[in-house]
Amino acid sequence: MKNLIAILMITFAGLSTIQAQQGMDKFQVQVDGLGCPFCAYGLEKKFKEFKGIKDVAIDIETGDFTFSYPAEKALSLEAVEKQVEKAGYTPIAGGVTRSDGTIEALHGKKNPVVANNTKTVKGKTMVSGNCSMCQARIEKAAMDQVGVQDATWDKNTKILEVQYDETMTSIQAVEEAIARVGHDTEHHKAHEEAYENLPGCCQYERIESKKQNK
Amino acid sequence: MHRVIYLVAFTLLFVACKEEEKETSWTFSETIGLKAINPIGLTSTDEGIWLSDGDRNRLVLVDGDGKVVSAVDSLDRPMHIASQDNKIYVPTYGNDQLLKIENGLAEQIAIADSLDAPAGIDIRGDELAIADFYNHRILYSDNGKDFISFGQQGKKDGQFYYPTDVQITDDEIWVADAYNNRVQIFDKSGNFKKIIGSDAKMNAATGIFVTETEVMVTDFESERVLVFDHDGNLKQELRQGVTKPTDVIIYMGDLYIANYRNGSMVVYKRG
Repeated sequence: MKNLIAILMITFAGLSTIQAQQGMDKFQVQVDGLGCPFCAYGLEKKFKEFKGIKDVAIDIETGDFTFSYPAEKALSLEAVEKQVEKAGYTPIAGGVTRSDGTIEALHGKKNPVVANNTKTVKGKTMVSGNCSMCQARIEKAAMDQVGVQDATWDKNTKILEVQYDETMTSIQAVEEAIARVGHDTEHHKAHEEAYENLPGCCQYERIESKKQNK
Repeated sequence: MHRVIYLVAFTLLFVACKEEEKETSWTFSETIGLKAINPIGLTSTDEGIWLSDGDRNRLVLVDGDGKVVSAVDSLDRPMHIASQDNKIYVPTYGNDQLLKIENGLAEQIAIADSLDAPAGIDIRGDELAIADFYNHRILYSDNGKDFISFGQQGKKDGQFYYPTDVQITDDEIWVADAYNNRVQIFDKSGNFKKIIGSDAKMNAATGIFVTETEVMVTDFESERVLVFDHDGNLKQELRQGVTKPTDVIIYMGDLYIANYRNGSMVVYKRG
């Protein structure tokens, strides 16, 4: 009888744990500006204000920040975004997988096609950068342009492929937007200040170009 | 007359050699691997070198081979540490506390002001200084009880952008103004005196160590340690073996650098 009670208790404890894990929303945010342990611990510290937070993991090389949070508290992505900003950093991508399987994106990567008379074209350009954080920043800058439907940057080839509505934007406008966040492109050089504001790991080797410097 | 000329020439040569001797630089000696330690801060006691291992919430005493001899656990993100009379002073960044650790036992240092992520501490007699990271300021006390506060968030002279380390000297307070990429020096009333390293293109000046003639600064993102004189002249750049450095000290006459990324210490010797 004692054995049976023990087995039942262990089973109940196991089920409770599974249920608890199932009752957690899983957040994943790519954070710009994380570069050192001071930044990572600082972000972790600010999120301690969210009582019940668990499984906090921060990768300072990639800027990936993940954590779990009780589903019943219905933590919004907006609240997460504000807390990242309060810690002194910028959320650039990410989302949450709710405990019921629903997925929400922090910044929708795919901009909706806004009209029927769109003229979608594809374009390519070179963009300087180093790492996954650069990739998130470059793609976000491109996607934030009205009319851009998709943007993918390859950190190895440095090529950015953009799909956009040419009645609404242009590859030049996309390049200018990317340069504004600190990344040199084929035809636009980022201002020194924007480049200097990039996290250390993102400060790619700049190539002097007479054409760009004019 | 010739004798006089020879004598003068010899004297000048001798003086020049002596000057050169004063200017000996640091030479790479060895890298000490640290197993499962990602060090942030360094200090030394009679027992040897202590490191704060922020990732694992502990302090560790290591031997010359980098093996852990002793540890103090359950500290919430210990950062840049200091020591005096074999007591270790620890700012715990995760819960905003200051601790004094003696014989493995931690005692909280009471402070009236509230901190937000203390990143560095220094002790010198009764004097205490704290780098208060998220409040962008330094707290200083000449008696260990009554503190003055100076600095605010900004990029101008006397302002800070996430200070991470601090050191008290005879007449000054030296601050690693990490994300302004410079070192700032203040008098003991908190008045700004000067800046060092603003033209050295540092990228996250995370740790400092000041001697009578030099100031060493860890340049975290650029993976180097810069050695300046007290006037801010760059004397040497140490790169060999340095990966994501967070702190630097002089111990037994040698220079030790804590490498956060790959968990190691680099030793440089005068040579």
